[in-house]
Amino acid sequence: MSTEKPPVLHAADVHKSYAIGNRRIEVLRGVNLTINAGETVALLGASGAGKSTLLHLLGLLDSPTRGEVQFSGEATSDRSAAYRAKLRNRHIGFVFQFYHLIPELTALQNVLLAQMMGVSVLGYWRARRRSHAAARQMLERVGLGERLHHRPSELSGGERQRCAIARALLANPSIVLADEPTGNLDSQTAAGVVELMFSIQRERDLAFLLVTHDESLAQRCDRIVRMKDGVVIEQEQVR
Amino acid sequence: MYRLSLAVRYLLTRPVNLLGVGGILISVWALVVVVSLFSGFLRVLEEHVRSATSDVVVSDVPEWTEWNTLQAALADDPNVAAAAPRLLHYGMLIPPGRRPAPAPLPGKSALHGGDQPFLFVYGVDAALEATATDMQQWLDSPEIPEDLRAADTATPLAAISETPAVLIGLERMLREGLTVGDPLRLTTARMVRSEDGRSRPVKIEIDLRVGGAFRTEHGGFDGNNVFVDIGTLRAALSPDRPGSVQEVAVRVHDKQQLEETAQRLSRVVNRVTEQNGRAFGRVETWRERNEQFLANVSHQRGLMKIVLIVIMVVAAFLMLATLSMMVTEKTSDIGILTAMGGTPIGVTTVFLACGVVITVAGVSLGLVTGVLTAVYLEEIRQAMLWSTGVDLFPLDVYNLQRVPCRIEPAWLLQVTVMALLTGALASVIPALRAARHDPLVSLRGI
Repeated sequence: MSTEKPPVLHAADVHKSYAIGNRRIEVLRGVNLTINAGETVALLGASGAGKSTLLHLLGLLDSPTRGEVQFSGEATSDRSAAYRAKLRNRHIGFVFQFYHLIPELTALQNVLLAQMMGVSVLGYWRARRRSHAAARQMLERVGLGERLHHRPSELSGGERQRCAIARALLANPSIVLADEPTGNLDSQTAAGVVELMFSIQRERDLAFLLVTHDESLAQRCDRIVRMKDGVVIEQEQVR
Repeated sequence: MYRLSLAVRYLLTRPVNLLGVGGILISVWALVVVVSLFSGFLRVLEEHVRSATSDVVVSDVPEWTEWNTLQAALADDPNVAAAAPRLLHYGMLIPPGRRPAPAPLPGKSALHGGDQPFLFVYGVDAALEATATDMQQWLDSPEIPEDLRAADTATPLAAISETPAVLIGLERMLREGLTVGDPLRLTTARMVRSEDGRSRPVKIEIDLRVGGAFRTEHGGFDGNNVFVDIGTLRAALSPDRPGSVQEVAVRVHDKQQLEETAQRLSRVVNRVTEQNGRAFGRVETWRERNEQFLANVSHQRGLMKIVLIVIMVVAAFLMLATLSMMVTEKTSDIGILTAMGGTPIGVTTVFLACGVVITVAGVSLGLVTGVLTAVYLEEIRQAMLWSTGVDLFPLDVYNLQRVPCRIEPAWLLQVTVMALLTGALASVIPALRAARHDPLVSLRGI
């Protein structure tokens, strides 16, 4: 089913290496991976396999040393930092293990921040009521309707991750990249967050790339991609 | 939009950033208050000096110059309204039979002059002097008590009981307990060439009586100078030259043309005093005559500006330190801002905006408080004096009615621009540090 939909992200022979002192560390060594619209993909692998590096490359946060990352069929490596930032803002949502909420902002403001970043002062001012309503709705959807004006320090771990999910989804992205989203949560809270993510994914027919160590979580995805030593060693179509 | 909003949030949640605002505020406040005070003081001093000096002064007139010739030459200038001859000498003025007072300790009177009996003696023609200077106002000053005022201020140097009169500064008269008619003796000397061709000082004593007090706004002038009739001084110093003159006070019609008039008069004086192909005499405007005195205050103002600008630089370093701390704390935010679509320039701008907000807040508060303080400086002085007994600015030392203040819009503009530039420079360094931070490092949670 997923193969019938157009690709959102495509990594073509992607290499990534870092220089540490005189040594050159090859983190990714020719990765080929396609994520189609509405598809959920789990990226599994041991620590150091290159999962997070691949996620950052696919999220246009970094550029490959060699190879190409395409977004909706468009090559991105030769595009400016500003253009790639715009693509991230409008089409890619991120969820991280450590939430990365801005501690000075309330839950509502954290969710609105991405919206504010994408528009001019005038543009934001014109659309502020709509944006606020959408952010409230999104927070209500993730179960934080009563916690709109709480700061991250006043939220539990699960609530913070829900807030991060709401933030990632507000701009209605084509794909959400989640880097071990339950890695910092207890099992019960993690189950709730996972349930929420998949239900929203189904509602919106979003593409999801989940970096995880959790085999059971991976089994809920459409496809499982296994990595080892910087290469994809196996791709398993689950459903 | 998000940059300014985020910058304000960052600042509001970190009270330590108030240090930066406070530093800028204090430096701007000090620059506004101190420079306004000095500017006001300079203006008042100018007014005081102006009140005691004629528009133009001709000095260093050689002894062979005849007053009538010089007067006629000066009067030819279309801008000269009046001219008055002066002889300028010096001496000790003490009551007959008394010893001179000891040398004064530093303090108010020493600053003004007047404690010591040694002073300058102006020989003047009172009628002409009143046309060329403000002498009439000096004699009619409402601050002079009636019993110290000259009997007839139109002829203040008229002899008293056939003794020549002397006009003395009000402060000196009050301090020495002198009254009109008191006898004084002017002890001085003049150089006389003897038969062997050598010059020797010859003691001169002139008995005088106090004719009355005068008061200009310039305390230093009043304390150090007395007036006697020019005829009295001529008779004692140069009896063989009845028309001698050393200095001429000149009043002009058009004050806007002082410099041009002085230049013209300089040529006239040179022509009149010329001897053996060499010209004599010096012509100065009132400002040139007091240039060094006024320049001292002006230099002090310049020095204060430099000291206070150093305070501003220190404040900028304080701001730089607090902003750098903030950047270190906010590396995690740099990662997520980048992930959400922020560019390195955008992230840099957030921290730059923090610096700008701190600077603008500090400058605005500094300007407002500085201007208010400068405007109400006298009231603040009085409040301090009333509550603590400490007089921050003793007015009588400087012969002032109230603490002077002159707010110069150009200086306010300079301070604002200077503070904004300093603040911007101090913000750039932490902002560039933020821009150089690898967002992936913080996203990995390393």
